Amino acid sequence: MYDSIIPTTDTIPVHWLWFQVLLIFTFFIHMILMNFLLGGSLLTVWDLLTGKLEKRASGSIPTLVALTVNFGVPPLLFVQVLYGHLFYSSSVMLAVPWLLIVPILILAYYGAYIFVKQADRAPLLSKGGLIFTTLSLLYIAFIFVNNNTLAIQPDRWGIYFKNPGGWNLNLGEPTLWPRYLHFLLAALAIGALGRAIVYRFSKMDKKEKESQIKRNLKIFGWITIIQFGVGSWFWLTMPDTVWKTFMGGSFFATAMMVTGWLLALLILHSSFTGRLTTAMILGGLEVLVMVIVRELARGAYLKELFRPSQLENVGELSPLIAFLLVFVVGLLAIYYMIRLIFKSKDSPS
Amino acid sequence: MNYPVWYLPQLGGGLLIAIIAVLHVVIAHLAVGGGLFLVLTERRAVLTKNSALLEYVRKHTWFFLLLTMVFGGVSGVGIWFIIALVNPAATSSLIHIFVFGWAIEWVFFIGEIVALLIYHYRFGKMDHKSHMALGWLYFIFAWLSLFTINGILGFMLTPGKWIETGNFWHGFLNPSFLPSLIFRTCIALIFAGVFGLVTGAWLKERENRRTVFRLCARWMYIPLLILVFTGIYYTRVISTESFENLFHYNRESTPFITLIIVSSILLFGLGLFTLVKTSQTVQKIGALMLVLICFGWMAGFEYMREIARKPFVLYGHMYSTGITPAQMESVNSEGFLAQAKWTEVKEVTEDNMEEAGAEIFRLQCMACHTIDGYNGVLNKSGQLTERGLEALLTGMGKVNSYMPPFAGTGLEKRAVAAYIFKELQGKSIPSAVGYVAESLPLEIPAFDPDTSLYVLLAWNDLGMHSISDNEKYFSFLPPANTLNAQLFKRGALPEVVTSGIVMEYTVEEEFQHPEYHSMFWQYDEAIFGADLPEGTGLMGKGVNGTMEPHGSVFAAHKIPVVPYMDNKTYNPYPVFTITAKDESTGELLAVTKAVAPTSTEMGCRNCHEGGWAWNDVSGMADLTAINILKAHDRFNGTTLLADAENGEPKLCQSCHADPAVMAPGKPDVLNFSTAIHGFHANYLEGMDQEACNMCHPSHPDGKTNCFRGRHSQVGVGCTECHGTLEDHALGLLANQSDKMASARLARGLEPVFAASKEEIKPRMPWLMEPDCRSCHTNYNIFEDGFDGTAFNRWVPGFEALYRNRTDNHGVMCSACHGSTHAVYGAYNNYGLQRDNQQPLQYQGLAGTIGTHGQCMVCHTVEMTSNGHHRNMVNRDPLPVLVE
Repeated sequence: MYDSIIPTTDTIPVHWLWFQVLLIFTFFIHMILMNFLLGGSLLTVWDLLTGKLEKRASGSIPTLVALTVNFGVPPLLFVQVLYGHLFYSSSVMLAVPWLLIVPILILAYYGAYIFVKQADRAPLLSKGGLIFTTLSLLYIAFIFVNNNTLAIQPDRWGIYFKNPGGWNLNLGEPTLWPRYLHFLLAALAIGALGRAIVYRFSKMDKKEKESQIKRNLKIFGWITIIQFGVGSWFWLTMPDTVWKTFMGGSFFATAMMVTGWLLALLILHSSFTGRLTTAMILGGLEVLVMVIVRELARGAYLKELFRPSQLENVGELSPLIAFLLVFVVGLLAIYYMIRLIFKSKDSPS
Repeated sequence: MNYPVWYLPQLGGGLLIAIIAVLHVVIAHLAVGGGLFLVLTERRAVLTKNSALLEYVRKHTWFFLLLTMVFGGVSGVGIWFIIALVNPAATSSLIHIFVFGWAIEWVFFIGEIVALLIYHYRFGKMDHKSHMALGWLYFIFAWLSLFTINGILGFMLTPGKWIETGNFWHGFLNPSFLPSLIFRTCIALIFAGVFGLVTGAWLKERENRRTVFRLCARWMYIPLLILVFTGIYYTRVISTESFENLFHYNRESTPFITLIIVSSILLFGLGLFTLVKTSQTVQKIGALMLVLICFGWMAGFEYMREIARKPFVLYGHMYSTGITPAQMESVNSEGFLAQAKWTEVKEVTEDNMEEAGAEIFRLQCMACHTIDGYNGVLNKSGQLTERGLEALLTGMGKVNSYMPPFAGTGLEKRAVAAYIFKELQGKSIPSAVGYVAESLPLEIPAFDPDTSLYVLLAWNDLGMHSISDNEKYFSFLPPANTLNAQLFKRGALPEVVTSGIVMEYTVEEEFQHPEYHSMFWQYDEAIFGADLPEGTGLMGKGVNGTMEPHGSVFAAHKIPVVPYMDNKTYNPYPVFTITAKDESTGELLAVTKAVAPTSTEMGCRNCHEGGWAWNDVSGMADLTAINILKAHDRFNGTTLLADAENGEPKLCQSCHADPAVMAPGKPDVLNFSTAIHGFHANYLEGMDQEACNMCHPSHPDGKTNCFRGRHSQVGVGCTECHGTLEDHALGLLANQSDKMASARLARGLEPVFAASKEEIKPRMPWLMEPDCRSCHTNYNIFEDGFDGTAFNRWVPGFEALYRNRTDNHGVMCSACHGSTHAVYGAYNNYGLQRDNQQPLQYQGLAGTIGTHGQCMVCHTVEMTSNGHHRNMVNRDPLPVLVE
């Protein structure tokens, strides 16, 4: 019904696949970092409430905020290149909660620093900072889920005409809650895996280290089990045309979904048997597969309305080359800076 | 048009962008300059072995990280969010054109973050050389980040060759790239100094504070000189139109220019306190005040950039409405609503005007305007009527190119005007009450062709004189009517009598006291510099008096007659009785009557609100005059309203030259007729003589209907002689092309009666008017060469005007044919024959004197040859139109 209001698109400088690959790659990194941050924060709050707060795993939260935000930029950029006309429209519909993300994120960022820096001087304030940060991250995730579901369903855009003031959450969307829960559980699972990795490289008592790694890998495993149920719930709340894409509708999509299940089964084995390195690789692969599945699901939703291949390519390669060069130089510079940490003497001379 | 609009009727998206942008941009500049500040100060501390200074750098780094990385970083994303919400079309363009520019900037951003985090967390835990290397890397990444963003920001204001080529590098390395980069780098260094004071002021040791303050002062003042010169360079690379919008024609920019000047003075004036010994409390307060001033300064700068970019959001590529210039033609022809995506109203009908207007306003205007909040349309439109609002929409993007042109059909324009006027302002148009002029009785003097020795012909020079009629606020047309008369001694070869007679005039009884009805004598000294006796006009004439000889004509200039009768009747056609007497004996030689048409039916109120001043019939109301002065003051930076309210109203021609009132004006200002027609033509385009009728008292259904001569009865309208308002204005503007405003007024006008602007001949108002012989070639009615218009065929000068021309015998054209705009056979609403009294007096029919072979009016023998001009005799007489 609302197909006719879908905005017209702008041109792109190079073939759309460049942006699709860049989107998947950068979103994958952002997802890993975001899961470490959100899952890690949730687990830290749990530790806090159960009196088991352990600073080694939680001290990196402010840095994780910085890196998550930073790595959130490129996927947000590339998704706007491919799907901007849909994304801007849905953003306007929920403009108020969407824009509130900015001040809330700033406060969450400060909250994370308060949590870390005030832990000894003002423990109550510190705990408050962490709880605020975690709740803020939950809010941000919820609004992103709202926006992303609205962006791929122009048939729901009629809500704009009833309320053009930017207060439309996509609460009537059947996939909203299972989707949100699915992502939260994923964050918890990968967050637990992240904590296990932190403990792996921490200088601490070997026994305690192993115990913490085991504990967190078990969390990873148990949440993966729950994900089977929640993921299936999420899957089946999708429109027929979408979920059937992953049930033979499309060979590639089906293969990806099956790969995801298989990886999940392997994750269960590695996490319950305490194999961190294997779990780490499998967890990373699972996130990558799920990112691809997510892209395929978006494509299935929009199948009749829009495909990125429809975008007009004006064929301007030089900016892409410039970016790739700068990217390589940037990576080298970061490598150099990290090396400086390890190379330089421990104290000033 | 392409995207939904976030409906913010009070707050407005523009204000949200401004708040987030100013907060972010200050911190973003600090992030660049502050990086250099950190590493250079660290270097200084290491070289001078000043551990206290090094400790200061360590603490400042933490403050700097919290401010720039946390607030600066996320608020940068905030700008992205807010511009995408308020102007998604422009954001989408920027994203798609510069996707790899943004991607490159992201690489620099992550380089910044990694460097700063390590710099902070490893402060004091690394050797100085490695630590400073990180500091340098941070600064380099931060400056490169500025370098990249600067290219995209510069593109928004000066896209340069990109407009033609669409090439990324042409857009990125645009004309303002370099000045902007240097300018912003200087700002970054200055802000580094200012924010350095903040942490410096909190240092406990007095000596440390002094060291830091002196250091920061250098950061503030050294870049200042470069900043000033680069600022000038910056203003030179923007387009002429941007420059004019910023510094000349747009009053909206004044507060921001003031803000930047005042905050600059405060910043660098108050900054001097850093060099003075003061208490720590004063230092703390001073440092925080300087930070606040930085925000004010940045607000001024960013707003000036925004104004310079108007009416575009991406200069030359996309208007601030989100519509591109390339889309305008189809939107204007097919309709905005038909092409807009996010509306359920797809067309305007007479039944949904306000609803459709609301939709168009929401989708097209709300990118910048709110309803009644920031930049609210309610505050800005209250001085205009519904018709005035329609005119305003027509003129958008023309005279003042600050606003983009309205996109849509004429009906859609009307719908927006109706929405603003009726729904938002809650006003309504008073139901039109038909005005029926009273047919007033006439007493035509007697004339006996057998015994009368003289024929006296009298006429008004222009056929209508308008009075602006609110001298309390201004005047451009005082009560000043001119009557001319010629006395002919009848005979075989009649003579024009020019001496030995006294020519007197007197007005009807009810018009004897113009001073009772006009403010002219209250403000004559302020406006005209002459304290005139009440009832006396600018040339010393009253409504009764004598006429002086001027060659073959007797004339009384500037008779102050007004159209208000003492019995409260509006009558724009006062009848004067003119008598010719023998100078020596006083014997009455001849008597006749003529109207001195004079109207106060000024159409200003049609757009500028206010209604009628005089008995709800005519005259300019105070509110109308106030609104006009407000508009003039806003456009031109004058203080006319305040002057008037202080008892010093002005004559418009004191600045605007005008041959009609012999005013020299000011050299750089357009003459009056050019200014008023040139300006308003931009707002009343696409109309035929309806445009004339909007302002002049010429509307057929009006209270004056001044265009009443024979032409009006045979389908010849205003435009057949003068061209459309656009043509008329372009001729006048062409004559004033040496003045700056001329091009600005002419650029939005398209000629109608000429193929191009260049074809229109320059014309001096009042002195060069359409030549009657353009149509009446060979003095006939329809001849070869007649193409239905006299436009662009001007008489060469004053002497050649119809009202000044004579035949070879000194007989004035007007004497026989009647006044301009009221040539005999005129049709007067206030009594059919009111203008035709002399033809009726002398020949019993309302045509040209002598028509239908009536040469006997003056000649006592039958005439068989063309005495006055060709084609007088031996032709088919014209039908008498008014009987």
